[in-house]
Amino acid sequence: MASLKRSFESDPFAQNISSKVYVRSTKSGKVQKIVREVYLRQDIPCSSKLCNACLKIAPRDAANRPIPFVLSEKPAGTSVFTQGHYIVPDTNAFLSAMDLFEQSSAFYDVIVLQVVLEEVRARSLPLYNRLVSLTKSEDKRFYVFFNEFRLETYVTREENESVNDRNDRAVRKAVKWYNEHLSKTSKKAPAVVMLSNDRDNLRKAKEDDIPAYSLANYVSQLKDGEQLLDMIPELEERDALIEKKPGQFLYPEHYTLSKMNTGVKNGLLHQGIFNVSPYNYLEGSIRVPAFPKALLILGRENINRAVDGDLVVVEVLPKDQWKQPSTQVIEEEAVTMNENPTEEGSDLISEKERKVLQEEAKRTLAKTTEGHALPTAKVVGVIKRNWRQYVGHIDQSSVSSSAAQGRKQDSVFVIPMDKKIPKIRLRTRQVAELLGKRILVTIDAWDRTSRHPTGHFVRSLGELETKAAETEALLLEYDVQYRPFPKTVLDCLPKEGHDWKVPASMDDPGWRDRQDLRDLLICSIDPIGCQDIDDALHARALPNGNFEVGVHIADVSHFVKPNNAMDTEASIRGTTVYLVDKRIDMLPMLLGTDLCSLKPYVERYAFSVIWEMNSNADIVGSRFTKSVIKSREAFSYEQAQLRIDDASQQDELTNSIRTLLELSKKLKQKRLDAGALSLSSPEIKVHMESETSDPIDVKTKEHLPTMSLVEEFMLLANTSVAAKIYEAFPQTAILRRHAAPPKTNFDELANQLRVKKGLDLSVESSRALADSLDLCVDPKEPFFNTLIRIMATRCMMSAEYFCSGTQSYPEFRHYGLASEIYTHFTSPIRRYADLVAHRQLAAAIEYEAVHPAVRSRGRLEAVCKNINVRHRNAQLAGRASIAYYVGQALRGKATEEDGFVMKIFSNGFVVLVPKFGIESLIRLRDLAEPEPAATYDAETYTLTTSGSREVKVELFQKVRVRVTDQKDETTGKRGVKMELVSTY
Amino acid sequence: MASTQHVLLSPAELAYLHASLSLTPPIRPDGRSPTQFRPLVAETGILPGTNGSARICFADGTEAIVGVKAEVERTRTRHDFPSLDESAEDDDDLDDNQNEVIKGDNDWVEMTVEIPGYRDDDAGTVFLSAMLSEALLADGEFTKRLWINQRFHWKLYLDILLISPPLSYPLPLLSLTTHLALLAARLPRLKSEGDEDPLFDDDWAAAPYLYPRPSEKGSKATAPAPAAARPPVTLLVMAVGNNIIFDPSKEELAVADVALAVSVGESSSSTTSTTSSKPTAMDIDTEETKGHNLRLLSVRTIDPPSRLTPPGIPNASNSAYGANAGAKDAEKKKQQQEQARTAESEAVEGVWKAPRGGAKTLVMATMVQKVLEKGGVADEVLDALDGVDLN
Repeated sequence: MASLKRSFESDPFAQNISSKVYVRSTKSGKVQKIVREVYLRQDIPCSSKLCNACLKIAPRDAANRPIPFVLSEKPAGTSVFTQGHYIVPDTNAFLSAMDLFEQSSAFYDVIVLQVVLEEVRARSLPLYNRLVSLTKSEDKRFYVFFNEFRLETYVTREENESVNDRNDRAVRKAVKWYNEHLSKTSKKAPAVVMLSNDRDNLRKAKEDDIPAYSLANYVSQLKDGEQLLDMIPELEERDALIEKKPGQFLYPEHYTLSKMNTGVKNGLLHQGIFNVSPYNYLEGSIRVPAFPKALLILGRENINRAVDGDLVVVEVLPKDQWKQPSTQVIEEEAVTMNENPTEEGSDLISEKERKVLQEEAKRTLAKTTEGHALPTAKVVGVIKRNWRQYVGHIDQSSVSSSAAQGRKQDSVFVIPMDKKIPKIRLRTRQVAELLGKRILVTIDAWDRTSRHPTGHFVRSLGELETKAAETEALLLEYDVQYRPFPKTVLDCLPKEGHDWKVPASMDDPGWRDRQDLRDLLICSIDPIGCQDIDDALHARALPNGNFEVGVHIADVSHFVKPNNAMDTEASIRGTTVYLVDKRIDMLPMLLGTDLCSLKPYVERYAFSVIWEMNSNADIVGSRFTKSVIKSREAFSYEQAQLRIDDASQQDELTNSIRTLLELSKKLKQKRLDAGALSLSSPEIKVHMESETSDPIDVKTKEHLPTMSLVEEFMLLANTSVAAKIYEAFPQTAILRRHAAPPKTNFDELANQLRVKKGLDLSVESSRALADSLDLCVDPKEPFFNTLIRIMATRCMMSAEYFCSGTQSYPEFRHYGLASEIYTHFTSPIRRYADLVAHRQLAAAIEYEAVHPAVRSRGRLEAVCKNINVRHRNAQLAGRASIAYYVGQALRGKATEEDGFVMKIFSNGFVVLVPKFGIESLIRLRDLAEPEPAATYDAETYTLTTSGSREVKVELFQKVRVRVTDQKDETTGKRGVKMELVSTY
Repeated sequence: MASTQHVLLSPAELAYLHASLSLTPPIRPDGRSPTQFRPLVAETGILPGTNGSARICFADGTEAIVGVKAEVERTRTRHDFPSLDESAEDDDDLDDNQNEVIKGDNDWVEMTVEIPGYRDDDAGTVFLSAMLSEALLADGEFTKRLWINQRFHWKLYLDILLISPPLSYPLPLLSLTTHLALLAARLPRLKSEGDEDPLFDDDWAAAPYLYPRPSEKGSKATAPAPAAARPPVTLLVMAVGNNIIFDPSKEELAVADVALAVSVGESSSSTTSTTSSKPTAMDIDTEETKGHNLRLLSVRTIDPPSRLTPPGIPNASNSAYGANAGAKDAEKKKQQQEQARTAESEAVEGVWKAPRGGAKTLVMATMVQKVLEKGGVADEVLDALDGVDLN
């Protein structure tokens, strides 16, 4: 009987075939034995320009041209390898110090092994993406060597060898092979050096006589190594923890992954995203599906090394430890001011922290009888860290006087700009240079033995408070992609550039199925100075007495085809970000401000929604078409308003705007009748000096009827399009929903209104809420209503994009707009969701075939998830930018303004100043020196101080405050500081 | 099916075969001794994607492949018999986790047998798989090996394939192949502890064998040592007269008076003590007789095909030889038939007559005893299978 097994002796190609056998556990709990055959080859080139042997055998492309080799023939040398060298980093070198490899001063000619690339991908997707973009960059000369497929460098896993050890061995073998291979090419061949931060790997390399260095050792060989040294985390020791005495552990150990999974499945543990309260760094909360309200996590020990945004697993504490959310403001900086970063205290909780907590406990103890206590929980493990790079600055007080001058390595604290992130311990040699600068750092680890996480320096953004540094800090903090568009994206633009025109000949393929609407009197109305004009409108009377109204949207989908580089980039950016002095575009300028933009007097492609309405603004019919339009005029809101108001203007265009305005008023009334909410957020505008773009004044935005004109028709267009694409793609339409907020969200506000003003807030439906908000008026204080609207807005859920198949129809509802179905269609230049909606609508009207990208539900869900995040970040960045400029505008000025108390704590209160749209915390200790004693009555939301200053502050109270600018020592931001002048 | 399939032998041939097998010692058509097995070739690990696999070829050209696949499955808490002692056990678990009760369930093994040319719901196929799984599950020890923790267990799928036409009754072949496949089967190494959701080592090389090897004792010292150290084997034994014949070929089975399927297992208690003194694994050529500690798991009688063979007719009543040549009327015919019936009931030397009635208890006892005795056939077979390289 012949054996059925592959016999390796008889097979001439046996040496080229190997197999990998391993056990794979899937998410659903399946355990499979996986057998992979590996076909090994010998024609994978080393890609060194020195090597001719490889050039001959290397595979060629389809046109039979050799693929150009990557590694330079004259690589840079170091003090040890004067003949030049190539670098082979192992996985943890990339994982711990990716920033180092992105430096332009060193790290050229790097061989990225396949096994390393795969490991990086498994460990961290963002780092993998950065590594891949490095391998694509031409000047860095990173070469991916497929060592797992090359016969000489393939290693099989040995018995009882962990995967990590096997991969490390594969790296060493590849380095060895490279060295041997290159030594054949010439006598003075460059050395191939392994870089690793793993002691074990380095030791084994030494045993095998393979050139290997730790990152720190290697960097010190470079010419300007000093500066780079800070970017290297400390050498990793796998058994470092064991050496420490157990008594030194400050934090409880995290559970094993399997224990957490079991607990979560059983419902004993709960999994969720950890959030830190912006007012109290020792208080976190986590929303889990099992509880209607967020669980509280109080104190350092319970937070157990979780950082804001981490995906953690928590255990609910016994009921006697349930507490009330803090009524106190606790800022890390104030409490942990004088900690020494070099010596780790053996107590987890410092004296001061303990004092603060104790006060807290006293307060809650008195109250627990009333049943206000919320369930509390403790973190038992972290499933996934959500660490990113953080912007911050070095805490001046943590710098020892000697360190400020010397070049020796010193530990300092970095205070992140984001107050929710704990202080980061940083070891650096350049304390003196970095003091007073905005710097970018990452967190490397947070050991059980260390009170604060440890991190390393990435780069400096510049001096604190310079516009460039602050703007960049802001963009980094909100994860806005602000790098210029890469070449691959720009290649997707039309070749004609700015000379592109709508083709004159109607036979051109661009005219296919396009309606010629150039004779319509179309105009656009936008804010002053708007360059990316998304939308234009027209209206005309029809012979039957009805009106034809058209909304014309820039046809971006004509220029941005699905799945090309530009589309991918846009889908990553998700939205255009507007800062006070800067706009970070989603699409390249050429499209956004020229080719797509519906500029006046030129012909442009558009996507038109055209309705027939009767004089009551009821829709009689609607249609959608791709079109060519010619806008007659681009108005600003103010210009349009003036033109409407000027009775002498009786031309056709003005009259059509008047028609639009009339119709829009009716539309708005209908919408409000249906229960649409009119919400508020403080909106202000910063006036800049035109030359220097320094802010000179701050004003609240005015509201003009023409604004709601445009708004109403855009809402109508969005709603019409949403219905159309949902009808065409019930499973995959991209829509936008605004979930009804849970009633509990309004509990606090409703209670406050009842106690303070005797007003009722009914929240059964958006209609009821809208009505009761209308009734929330204080005859003496016109702003009071707006204040309540602002506060109500904060109680609501945020609207989100979603793919129609993921929700049932009743869930589609847009709560704020009181619309059954809604999407975004009208701003494709600045929002990616609109672009997708355009493609879907084009497919729905059979203008073009359905592209798989707009049909695949998985893809769309990923897109929605990303743009929801981007959208939120863009808003936050925009607000932060305004806050920064408001601070700058107020610089050196002190004004007294009226404000309102929005939120009240036992040791301070938050005041909103409507004129500047800013809110700020006034602490007790800001009231007078020494800090006055205070009693806080949580029932009536009243804070009464006594002693050095006697005031009584109530919620919703109007107060007079002095607004000055101040550099916030904790975050290094210049912001406003308010001082209480008097109460009304 | 296979046991009852018709053999293309004439009554005379059957009679001849029966006669030669009844001799002392019996003379088998292929010249084997009564206890001798047909030569076989075996190998394991032929299916890389399975947890364990084996293939055996008999010299007569029959060939079988067995693959073992294991899947993690959640153990259902049994509501069907909330007996007192079980609730008591649960209480124990709460008090003391170390006192875990390892128990298995017959549902954890699913066996499918495929015989070419037969439907999978054919009675014969079903009977074969029932016999094979009965042997495996009879003592309740096997399923304990599949226990992971209180909440999870391995579900084992045994796919038994005959890949040649069924030239002889395939029971011994399938049983031996299954035995080898189970011996070669490995389950991923458990990394999690207690009743957590199981997590496994991704290194296949670290996966322990379902039946731990004696040589690996050192590494798996803490493993619970269940009674059977090897999977069971089911042997086919037949008797002709007082002769007991092992591993019958198709033709031999066609004249069997009795056919038995005897399943034996091995309990480890004695072998562990003998092997622990020896550092090396058992070799087939060890001088000292170290018998296997065999125990009987099950016995099944198999309906021998001989019962359906057409009987031979003695010359005396064969019309072709001139008997009753003149009889023409119905009266005579009736008489003739009666005569034939009496003729059938009497054994006539050299004339084939299908066996009637049950097996004799004594013969059955001897058959079972022959299987089980020290140095007996089962011993021999197990020793021989030890020689198969399991990697």
